[in-house]
Amino acid sequence: MAMKYAYHPGNVAHSGSPEVAESMVPLVKSLGIELTYLDGATSCGAGIIRQVNQKLQLTLNARVFAQAESLGMGILTPCASTAGNLSEDLFLLKSNPILLAEINEVLLKTCGLEFTGDTSVNHLLHVIVDDIGLEKIKPMVVNPIDFRVASYYGPNIQQHGFCGEDDIYDPNYMEQLIQTLGGEPVSWDSRTQSVGAPSLLSEEPTVLKQAASVLNDAKSEGAQMIVSACNLSHSVMDIYQGKASQRTGLRTNIPVVHLCEILSFALGHYNTRYAQLRTRVLVIGD
Amino acid sequence: MSDSRSLLVLFGSQSGNAEDMASQIGKAASKYGLEAIVKGMDEIQISDLSSHKRIMICCSTWGEGEQPDNAEDLWISANSEGSPSMSGVNFSVLALGDTSYELFCESGKEWDSWLEAKGGYRISDRVDCDVDYEDPAKSWMDETLARMGAVDDSGVFQENQVQQVKDNASGALSTQTTSAAESSTVEISTEGDRSLVILFGSQSGNAEALAAKFAKQASGYGLEAEVADMDGFDLTSLSGRKRVLIVCSTWGEGEQPDNAEELWIKASSAPSGLLDGVNFSVLALGDTSYELFCESGKEWDNKFEQLGATRLVARVDCDVDYDQISQEWAENALAAMAAVDGEGVFHEEMVLAIKESMTSGATGASGEDGFTVPEIKSESISAEISIFRYDPNTSTTGKDTWVCALPGHMSILDVLRTIKSTQDGSLTFRDGAVDDPTTAISINGRHVLPGNLRLESSAPLRNGGISISLEPLNGFEVIRDLAVEHWDLESKRESSKPWMSSVTRQGLSTPQGALGSMNPLIASKLHSMMDIHSYPILHASSDATAYSDDYYGPSIISQSWARRNDPRTAPSKKREIEQLLDSPFGIKAETDFSSIRRQGKGSFIHDALLDCKTSTLARDGFTGRHGKHVWWYTFTIKSSGRVNDSVLYRQVLGPIGLFGNLFSGVTSRMVLGFTRTGGNMINDMLALIAPPAGLGKMPRQFNSSVKNHHEVVAIYNEMDGRF
Repeated sequence: MAMKYAYHPGNVAHSGSPEVAESMVPLVKSLGIELTYLDGATSCGAGIIRQVNQKLQLTLNARVFAQAESLGMGILTPCASTAGNLSEDLFLLKSNPILLAEINEVLLKTCGLEFTGDTSVNHLLHVIVDDIGLEKIKPMVVNPIDFRVASYYGPNIQQHGFCGEDDIYDPNYMEQLIQTLGGEPVSWDSRTQSVGAPSLLSEEPTVLKQAASVLNDAKSEGAQMIVSACNLSHSVMDIYQGKASQRTGLRTNIPVVHLCEILSFALGHYNTRYAQLRTRVLVIGD
Repeated sequence: MSDSRSLLVLFGSQSGNAEDMASQIGKAASKYGLEAIVKGMDEIQISDLSSHKRIMICCSTWGEGEQPDNAEDLWISANSEGSPSMSGVNFSVLALGDTSYELFCESGKEWDSWLEAKGGYRISDRVDCDVDYEDPAKSWMDETLARMGAVDDSGVFQENQVQQVKDNASGALSTQTTSAAESSTVEISTEGDRSLVILFGSQSGNAEALAAKFAKQASGYGLEAEVADMDGFDLTSLSGRKRVLIVCSTWGEGEQPDNAEELWIKASSAPSGLLDGVNFSVLALGDTSYELFCESGKEWDNKFEQLGATRLVARVDCDVDYDQISQEWAENALAAMAAVDGEGVFHEEMVLAIKESMTSGATGASGEDGFTVPEIKSESISAEISIFRYDPNTSTTGKDTWVCALPGHMSILDVLRTIKSTQDGSLTFRDGAVDDPTTAISINGRHVLPGNLRLESSAPLRNGGISISLEPLNGFEVIRDLAVEHWDLESKRESSKPWMSSVTRQGLSTPQGALGSMNPLIASKLHSMMDIHSYPILHASSDATAYSDDYYGPSIISQSWARRNDPRTAPSKKREIEQLLDSPFGIKAETDFSSIRRQGKGSFIHDALLDCKTSTLARDGFTGRHGKHVWWYTFTIKSSGRVNDSVLYRQVLGPIGLFGNLFSGVTSRMVLGFTRTGGNMINDMLALIAPPAGLGKMPRQFNSSVKNHHEVVAIYNEMDGRF
């Protein structure tokens, strides 16, 4: 029986990272996941709205939770930033009945909705490893990912209660998955380090150094490609890697793809794109 | 005795004191005609309470006014919807606490109020006890038991019966010592003369330390121990005493220790019969490498016997490795002393039962007495330990890896010490006490105090072993290997002027004079911000500190923010702090709060720093890059429900920033998607009118609105009128 989830695509899947939203479509079909699009879902806030008004972000996300709850489903997202932000707000609401009542009052008044706390937030990675099982993925692999791959988690989902059964500080879900897909996981230190995505536009000099450090670490450990579990960090590491190198003098050129892309390629989707990626892996370097 | 005379004694205990008190009540209850049922709060359901007519609660308070662990669930049930009425229940509460905490005896107060609110009858007033709780707790116990005894079988309190119950109980106590010997159940008396003198003659301090240790153990045997230094002790004061233990070392060639010499001289000329009625035992400390082994102890043993005292337990002579043998002596000697009744009569037949009772009574984990630390040992585990190395002389970095089997309970600090002493003497790290904040290092990206972390808990067990990577804390200059320089942090702390400039406040007028006061909620919030076990760890918890030299970092920012919100701080000082927080090196320099949240106690600091950022942005009026970024992000969500990256780039970077991106390759990478794959070549009509807008992976210029977008607008209008 298909697993059913309410789908939140993440912050920038509709604009700067369309490849994530596109590759999710055939991917979930192969994985036997049935997604119901949360058409009314707003941005998770990316940790930015709460800087202005925490209760505003909580109310917006409570609306998303209420929508998923009305469907009787947990939320699934391919974005680590979105999973982390939604999980944080969900935890806050569930653990503070007074706050939940206050938010529900606004929700009822403005949207006619109420959230009781009966939903969950899940990142695609954890659903694959914890719920589907890697042993079921292995026979599905059509195009083995025969590269040395550095897995990037970022700090958002690597928190208490947000990362399934994986270890917060020493995760290996993505490494296990990469191995299942035929790849060679690279051991590197920066996989949970922030690349400063929430402050890209306001603290660019620091963010560029952070991104350069992460990219350079992956290269130094022999990775041929980075696979990211986060839409936002994925974009920062791709778009800004040239500028980061100019600013720091570090070697940063390395292909960065999203987890959804690499999974869909391995399971036999978008063969042309996969061929393009293989070429890029071969030609991109110092 | 029927159920109608039952008394429920409930304890909520963290360290064992409340449990101990409940146990004492349980033992004493029978003298008041009551049949006690002693239970932990985790051994009963809230619905069961209403069936009791008499309830006595002993409850300690944990941390900042929290219920002890074993009481938490019951307290939650008590406050849940549909919790039962306590009408018909006679109750009283003994609250244990510590006045050095702000919320003193809070848990006991909560139970007291709850029982009253639920219709229970407070049969005697709650007593709040500080750390020296024994005397007030005993008074409360005696009075409350008498009043509970005066509750008749139908549950009605008969106040005129209280004195009668007290008299009866007093009679029961006077006959207890004789009946105890006949009883099959051993009950260590707490009544009558229960005094015990422990005399020590000590040269190096070992005998003194043992005397103090045995004195603590004595209370468990119902004895009131008094530790006495032989120096200046009046031997004649022992006349009339019933119980004496002697712990005495030997000095040099069989000499008395310095502090015992004078007393020994007096004892040598004391008349025989001086110590008639005294029961005693001697523990002699010595060293078999000396010819006259334990001579002083032997001398005291003989002398007490000569003076008329009765030896209850044979002397034990200890060599330098005395821990175990001295403890065995203490268990025998204390049990024997406990079997001496208030009249000085030794009941030998009770000794074995007392010892068994003490052994079976030790149900709690060791360490709960507050004096001993439980020793937990684990099997050896296979560990791959990778350590960052840096040699400042050659400016070379690298990693050394050891694969070894080590006990799982070993701390990481001990692992480092072991490697340094057995493998590589040049390994450098900061050594210190387990809670020394300067010893902090990073293990697999987790910032820890290595003395506080066991090897088996440092990383998940995979393939039968663990793999750990030890690194210096990020955000600090590395001196060598794992040792980092803290001066930069201290220098920043100094420049933040962290000292208090207080405002004059009126305070509260009390009989002791004017006292300052603080709202408990504010105090609690400030405390959570300031209760940091390692400021270096907090500083390193931000992933930005390593890449922004001038950023003060979460450690200093959180302290400054706490000071800013402290009601005692003068307004001028608050303005000074705000300038620091609002500066480019203040809270704005933090690039990602989630990295702080994931490290240990980070959520408290994370929430505080978010508040700080909110405050700074509001003061700035959403100007500058930070203000614009946050304002326009939030605004675009209101506009469509989705973030509009194009608007953000345009509004925050401005034309110069956008132009810069054209030349740095950022724009071309957006268009081409560079290493990312797929996507449409043209995303919207703007690609035809004003490229590169709308081309490739350039963010969309216009977003379609989410379904029921009006709800989003309504939420904004309700929650924040600024947008």
